[in-house]
Amino acid sequence: MKRIDLPLDKVVEEIGKFYRYDEHHFIVINAVDLGDAIEVQWFFSNYVAPGEVTMFAAKADASQLIPSITRVVPSAWVAEAELVDLMGINIENAKKGFVLEEDFEGAPLRKK
Amino acid sequence: MATYYDIPVGAQHISLLEPLHFKLTTENEKIVDVEANVGYVHRGIEKACTTKFKFRQVSFVIGRICGLCSISHTTAYSQVAEKLLNLEIPLRAKYLRILVLELDRIHSHMLCLSHVAENSGFEALFMRTMKDREISMELLEAVCGNRVQYDYSIVGGVARDLRPEVAQMILTRLKELRPKIDDLIDIFQNNWSLSLKNKGIGAISFEDAMRLNAVGPLARAAGVPVDVRNDTEDLLPWKQVGFEMVLENGGDVHARNMVRLRELLVSMKIIENVIQGLPEGPIVAETKALPEGEAVVRLEAPRGELFHYAKGNKTQYLERLKVKAPTFSNIPAFVEMFKGNEYASAPAIIASYDPCLSCTAR
Amino acid sequence: MELKLYRKKSPWILHYNAGSCNGCDIEILACLSPKYDVERFGMINTGNPKQSDILLITGPVTKRSRERLVEIYSQMPEPKVVICCGSCASTGGVFRDMYNIEGGVDQVIPVDVYVPGCACRPEQIIDGVVAALEILEKKTKAIEKPLRYANEVKDENDQINRRTMPGTIPTK
Repeated sequence: MKRIDLPLDKVVEEIGKFYRYDEHHFIVINAVDLGDAIEVQWFFSNYVAPGEVTMFAAKADASQLIPSITRVVPSAWVAEAELVDLMGINIENAKKGFVLEEDFEGAPLRKK
Repeated sequence: MATYYDIPVGAQHISLLEPLHFKLTTENEKIVDVEANVGYVHRGIEKACTTKFKFRQVSFVIGRICGLCSISHTTAYSQVAEKLLNLEIPLRAKYLRILVLELDRIHSHMLCLSHVAENSGFEALFMRTMKDREISMELLEAVCGNRVQYDYSIVGGVARDLRPEVAQMILTRLKELRPKIDDLIDIFQNNWSLSLKNKGIGAISFEDAMRLNAVGPLARAAGVPVDVRNDTEDLLPWKQVGFEMVLENGGDVHARNMVRLRELLVSMKIIENVIQGLPEGPIVAETKALPEGEAVVRLEAPRGELFHYAKGNKTQYLERLKVKAPTFSNIPAFVEMFKGNEYASAPAIIASYDPCLSCTAR
Repeated sequence: MELKLYRKKSPWILHYNAGSCNGCDIEILACLSPKYDVERFGMINTGNPKQSDILLITGPVTKRSRERLVEIYSQMPEPKVVICCGSCASTGGVFRDMYNIEGGVDQVIPVDVYVPGCACRPEQIIDGVVAALEILEKKTKAIEKPLRYANEVKDENDQINRRTMPGTIPTK
């Protein structure tokens, strides 16, 4: 697994430069609660060089608005909608209510 | 001025095994827009895996994500945990994992095929496919001890050894299954009334499947060569046991049926090779280490690419476990697939897509 | 008159997945397949709650499917029997105390038969349905008893005294 650390505001730009739809396969977006910050991770695999997984990682605060990559990767809306529910973070244009009820309080995967 | 009608399908519907809700917007008979609600089965397993259960127990819990591909989840989790522990498992355990993975693929694909036949209105073919599927269920019970939840892979290897008489039984029963699958291929390929419901229905183009990152039989039916078994050799020796990729070009329900049917033949060949070349040795590698660092694992489940991410912090409990199920990746392509088809074809399209909502919502 | 006979000889089954892992669902589907073949007992899997007698539920009840489960249950006509298939539906199983789980089905609606097992085998499901048929027969008889006279207030000579009859409709 190749890991690329980025600042949050560069994510869309860098993924836009990296991603070619006939070359890369978007896997999923993940987030990990580190305690003081949240690390958001974007995973891609490669059709041309099979077995290679690239991970883009960026740190964010819980209240910060995280840019959406759907203008680069159109199928990413599912992963974004899920993360908004489970991690309680803000992602551009993603709505709550994908897996949790709308009156659910808090975010289950956060430590606090 | 066109009139649009919203027709709900689900959450409880005769053609759905699972609670899944669609709002199909139709103009006359044509579906023009689709809204899917897939979150009925969310139970919160990821949270429980990091707080309630120790990392060796998680491989039993994670199988309960999905009953159809439980062995895929347990194997993928065991592999990711072994990566965190820096543990190399014996070759015999790898071969036995492949054996159960492929038996599971046979049962899952045949369930999907029978479901497509039923939803296309071909009840007799449903019964016939389900009858043939029982052979694979019996074999799974003989190998693992249970019909559905196997718990076969554990961290470090597999839970049971394969006895020689069971190996012999697998070979003889697969010989019985072979002509039956040939018959099924003939019916699915040539039956005229089934072709009216399947050929050209629910088609997705190569470009769309690429652009929307489809995986599994859905993508392979459109000609996209994605199969994790083709990608990596380091975790499970797929090429050694004779894996070949199956590709079709139509992208419709019929092409997906044909991909699944031809994959049955590949799976049967792999199982025969595994049993004939099964190496001797232990089935479990022991270690007292604790999981540390982060790792990812990709594995080909019956429905496509399964992805596990795990992060350990040198305690008995994992820090984070993320599961990406194949159906989750296919939702954007799936929503696209409906558009332009007739409302009456919707059940067949849903079945051919082989949704696994308990994997998706977890 | 005939309806009573048919209900016993040919019960119609409604299946709802309230958050299960599909394991018990495919075993229910296997029951319909030629090897176990419950259709020889006249059982048919129907999709319409208004025509069914037996409700088969699999899985622990998730928060989102609870409302739908109650809705389906209330749409079924009396007499009806509820069967829980599998450990999760019976008690919550391995999913108990997870944040999106209500617990077993009996936390939400009344349950008549519990079928244990992860996943419950087709033989067990058939056994459970046969047990449910006896309960269905009892419920059918109970429903046909004239409720009014059973609940009316009687005096010490075991005679019904209409003057002391309660004004509300009896509930039992």
